[in-house]
Amino acid sequence: MLALPMTLNRTAETEEARIARGLRERDTELLADLVERCQHRLVRYLVYLTGRREHAEDLAQEAWIRVMQRGSQYNGRQRFEPWLFAIARNLAIDSIRKRLKAAPTVSLPDDRDAVLLLPSSGPSPFEAAARSEDAVRMAGRLQILPPLYREALLLRFQEELSLAEIAQVVGAPVTTVTSRIYRGLAALRSAFEEGNSHGV
Amino acid sequence: MECDERLRELIDRSFAEEVSVGERRIIDEHIRNCDGCRRYVELTARTIRGLREFTFASEADSRAQVFAMLAHDTGTTRRHNAQVKIWAAFAVALAMSIVGSALVYEAARFVAAPMHFDNAQLEAGVLVFWLLPSFCSALCIFAARGEKRGIA
Repeated sequence: MLALPMTLNRTAETEEARIARGLRERDTELLADLVERCQHRLVRYLVYLTGRREHAEDLAQEAWIRVMQRGSQYNGRQRFEPWLFAIARNLAIDSIRKRLKAAPTVSLPDDRDAVLLLPSSGPSPFEAAARSEDAVRMAGRLQILPPLYREALLLRFQEELSLAEIAQVVGAPVTTVTSRIYRGLAALRSAFEEGNSHGV
Repeated sequence: MECDERLRELIDRSFAEEVSVGERRIIDEHIRNCDGCRRYVELTARTIRGLREFTFASEADSRAQVFAMLAHDTGTTRRHNAQVKIWAAFAVALAMSIVGSALVYEAARFVAAPMHFDNAQLEAGVLVFWLLPSFCSALCIFAARGEKRGIA
């Protein structure tokens, strides 16, 4: 009975060890494979995190360069995706801080994550991506939802990371992550509750 | 269990993380008789489904751009590493040439003493037959191209 889970577990370990070895050796084939597998997820994560569509591709490219340059730091004991998202997250925050520094009228908050809370200009990427009626209803809510909640929801329900993995990506305790997920869910749920009460 | 905040928290938890079989049974039994909580569960499930619908397709050439950039970066890094290796090899060859020449000069002086060579002859011999060839060998590391160096 235990044979299958154990085999699956061993396969997962082998996969991570293979990625770690490939990154150490700067294996271009492995990198191409990772890009193929994770690029759209990386872009999606960056859109959710920043609430902006326009810089997501550039940030994703920078993240891949960072992955290649610091590949030896990936130890293969954890899944690759949380490590990749953590790199992208740091780059995104640094990039926003850099842009804010360039704007003399804006003062930089001390807390690194707080730059994500500053309002973003431009069209909502969520409204542009909404395909179904539910998605359209939710798009407006997503755009105004605090990015840290949006990020937690994406990592849990789209990327299906565990709470511990999300905590590792965002650099916060599991309890904080859980609270962000619950609050984010509550805010989005209200979009449907209001819709229903208005007979939509 | 009463239909209160604790039950709603348990429902939220059942979506966000694993709950025990017992807790799952409590939820199932409760929502069978409670419209409010059943609606809460349905809304939460619908919210998560709606959330999963958002995808942001990469620009068409995005992957190609990443591949090109990684290839360029890999090439630059390899060239840089090769340059570092060449300089290191040259430095080692030069050091061996100088140290080796000094040793050869001392040995030649010892051997040449019975043959009555003077210092100038000895120095010329070491220069022509040892120092210049070994120095030229070190320079060849620079002159050779790519893989012929055996270190790139």
